[in-house]
Amino acid sequence: MMKKSMKKNAFVLIIATLLAIVFLLPLIFMLFTSFKALSEAMSSSALLPKEWTLENYGSIFGIAADVPVIRWLLNTGIVTIAGTVLVVFVDVLAAYALARLNLPGKKFFFTMVVAALTIPGIVTLFPMFYIFRELNLINTFAPLILIYSANTMGVFLVYSFLKGFPKDLEEAAVIDGASLWQILRFVIFPAIRPVVATLAVLTFLTIYNDFLWPSVVTSADEMKTVTVGVANLVQGANFVNPGRMMAATVVATLPALIIFVAANRYFVRSVISSGIK
Amino acid sequence: MRISKTWSFILFLPFLICFVLFLVVPFAYGLYISFHQWSIFGGNGGFVGFDNYVSILTPGNVYSNAFYNGLKNTLIFVAISVIPLVVISLALALVIDSIPDKLKVFYRTIFFISYAVSVTAVSAIFKWLFTGNGGYVNNVMNTFGLGALNWLNDQPLAWIAILIATVWWTIGFNMILFINALDEVDRNLYEAASLDGANWWQRFSNITFPSIKGVFVFLTIITVIASFNLYGQTLLITAGGPSQSTTSLIMVIQQIVFNQNNLGMASAMSMLMGLVMVLIVAAQYLYTLRKD
Amino acid sequence: MKKLAFFLVILAVLFLTACGGGSGSGETADGKIELTYINGFTGGDGDFMKKITNGFNESQDKYVIKESQEKDHYTKFKTGNYDLVIIHTDLLETYKQDGMIQDISSVMETAGISPDDFHDKAKEQVTFDDGVFAVPLDIHPMTMFYNKKLAPEAPQNYADFASLTQTLQQQDPNLFATGVPSAGLGEWFIMTVAAQNGINLVEDNYMNFAQEELADALMIYNDMIFKDKISPEGLGLDGEFQAFMKQVDEGGSAVQTATALTGPWYYQAVKEAYGDDLGIASVPVIGEQPGVYGAGHTLALPSSVTDEERIAGIAEFLKYMYTPENLINWADSGQAPTHMPTMELVESDAAKYPLSAQNIKQFDSFEGAPKLYQYREQVRYVVENVYPKVVGEANISKETLMSELEKATEQAKQVAETAPQ
Repeated sequence: MMKKSMKKNAFVLIIATLLAIVFLLPLIFMLFTSFKALSEAMSSSALLPKEWTLENYGSIFGIAADVPVIRWLLNTGIVTIAGTVLVVFVDVLAAYALARLNLPGKKFFFTMVVAALTIPGIVTLFPMFYIFRELNLINTFAPLILIYSANTMGVFLVYSFLKGFPKDLEEAAVIDGASLWQILRFVIFPAIRPVVATLAVLTFLTIYNDFLWPSVVTSADEMKTVTVGVANLVQGANFVNPGRMMAATVVATLPALIIFVAANRYFVRSVISSGIK
Repeated sequence: MRISKTWSFILFLPFLICFVLFLVVPFAYGLYISFHQWSIFGGNGGFVGFDNYVSILTPGNVYSNAFYNGLKNTLIFVAISVIPLVVISLALALVIDSIPDKLKVFYRTIFFISYAVSVTAVSAIFKWLFTGNGGYVNNVMNTFGLGALNWLNDQPLAWIAILIATVWWTIGFNMILFINALDEVDRNLYEAASLDGANWWQRFSNITFPSIKGVFVFLTIITVIASFNLYGQTLLITAGGPSQSTTSLIMVIQQIVFNQNNLGMASAMSMLMGLVMVLIVAAQYLYTLRKD
Repeated sequence: MKKLAFFLVILAVLFLTACGGGSGSGETADGKIELTYINGFTGGDGDFMKKITNGFNESQDKYVIKESQEKDHYTKFKTGNYDLVIIHTDLLETYKQDGMIQDISSVMETAGISPDDFHDKAKEQVTFDDGVFAVPLDIHPMTMFYNKKLAPEAPQNYADFASLTQTLQQQDPNLFATGVPSAGLGEWFIMTVAAQNGINLVEDNYMNFAQEELADALMIYNDMIFKDKISPEGLGLDGEFQAFMKQVDEGGSAVQTATALTGPWYYQAVKEAYGDDLGIASVPVIGEQPGVYGAGHTLALPSSVTDEERIAGIAEFLKYMYTPENLINWADSGQAPTHMPTMELVESDAAKYPLSAQNIKQFDSFEGAPKLYQYREQVRYVVENVYPKVVGEANISKETLMSELEKATEQAKQVAETAPQ
């Protein structure tokens, strides 16, 4: 019995390891290409550089650098964190009001939230762009952060969770004379922590990986997010130096990778499925 | 409850404001724009009624050609991508679920890592991997005695390349959700099943799958929507080629806004695209409801 | 509690900083008038344009130019406020008809520049019935780079290509004379062969591709690939350049070409790869007469600029820029200026400006884009759908090609009709 499960484990591990290697290959390719000089990167596609060079990184961080990767990373950081905080704040309060409180027009608002779930982003994207342009807010953080706040999915997620959560504690707190703030802070928030984490993670990833919207509302180099900034290095009528492009990609990806690995347990422990079921 | 209506409304208010400003207003404005001749640069050029919609729906019209081509390509991608994106991530989740706990975190992290790579970086990497003339993939195939393929210039190879890039990029997300769902499956059920001598497939179809079905349906819908929004990969890897066969609907709309300055037409297309998406998602939802 | 307060503070700070943004163009701290100038020079040429603007800024105490170099500069231009913009010659008609740029002749006059200071081809491109709508900067025609190790002399015609490819094929079956790409420079390949066969594609206000002569002319690319093996098959996006940069190795699958018919902006890259083995030449004649297509940069004045003082500042900048000693910086980047006094300066020191001097030689046979509304959209179908078939399908019949060209014409007609009345 024991032996059999050992065997099975070994088999699973071998499969998982092989898959992992194939899976990491693109990242390895990116890393090695970033150490190739221009002519080698263009002429051969061997994995390992024949001659290692740091000039690609020099052209990003050096004196003559014209690619503000650090600034893009900073922008992405600001936008994702601010956007996530905003969404969580707004959605949790709204969901609580909808699920638990005596909100006037509750039915109407709930229908509104559910109906809006079906509206795809593309429908509002360009009108929104036009509005922000008319307000002269292109190239500011405002459009980059604010639009994510109309997140009906988040309200729905927290709402469903709250609905399945017993009212007893809260009612006890009310009887004890707790204020609204105290109820939120000491009863509701601890109880819904898993779904809040879920919402935060989902929102963070959505904003982090968004490409179309930030590419539409940023034009100044210093306002771009990493995703948009690196896109300029990938395509274009002008010549793209693959080594340099990969170096920029490495620099752009590394901080996110580190955050992901470090925060991995939160992502997983957030019981993402709880809100969905 | 003693919490007053006023306070309830105050709690709801921030969301309501955001909702109106960033969803209701742009939606209504988009609808309004779609009935006008409207340019990004020059603004409103006058009411045209349903003209924009008529142009899009009239076969042979230049806008109609662009719209249908984009829609067709997008639907192709939805069709080919949803099954791999859901099934492969489920398979991966099952593999990881059966790894001993100590190593689980390590493997889970590896397969989730690619989701931290932005779409532009993903595209940059895969564009070079799949380059037809002496690209890495072709070199590897060559060493195994397989001929070189024109990945990015021939169909269906271009779709396959885009699909592989997309699977690599987004699979970690679906996988994590599946792993979480699998974690919550009642272990006692498995034990009972193995006592009954159930094989792997029986255990999966009788215990595992029914327990994670909710997540499965949710992920399928989410994936359909995500695939519908195909943009970055085709823009950056194939630039819509070969012969506009990977030009997605969003690329078409984006190009009409910025290259042709025609926000009115683009808004009408967005509305129609939204309609198609709503219909598909609704159909999917109703289908799963009926089955339950 | 503390955490929440902390987040709220961050949020508040963000909104405040967000509001502080915005692209205000006005006066700088030291009282100079700031003029915004946007262009798409994100490649190697950007540094040379910066030299010109920096030079101007140092020479001035009244105006200061704030230059932005953006990859997607047309989108940025449409969504922002700028005082001066670089526009490609093929877009001038569209931007003019859409009312985005204005007549610049009076500014040129103030700056002491006349349209006659420019090469005829450049002058013709910016001159319209109702005025001059841009100041020409350069013309960048299709350019031939060749690798002297593989092609000791530059091919000059189809026969040269054919014999070169035979020699190379004997060395290695993965070596070819040149590369015909399926995407990227498709428009340049189509229009160059049209120019070399003297085909006029403009009819009324649209591009008429449905011409037997064009079908025949295009088939030469099919022959180059499938019949005479002058180019390898299946070169994709930017394939002409990528194949030129490759190194064949024994048993490998990569193909390499001895020459590249491509954009001059690849100069820095090919120079770095080949050094002294790099040759530059005019595009060979594969049709009936010399002819080469390409594009050009021009400086245009956005319609939104009406302020007298700003216009005076722009005139001042143009005056500085169109002084040969300053504009020569642009030739230094490899671009070929169309300003005749500067052209003379380039030609007098051809060794210092090899690419620029070589491309000036191509000016006389240069054919630019016709002045048509939404020209890029008009050619889109032929470039993205028809041309790839010509270079991708070995046995494409003339009937198929003609029916595709008719579709392309139909699209072009419809695009032309979207012009504002």
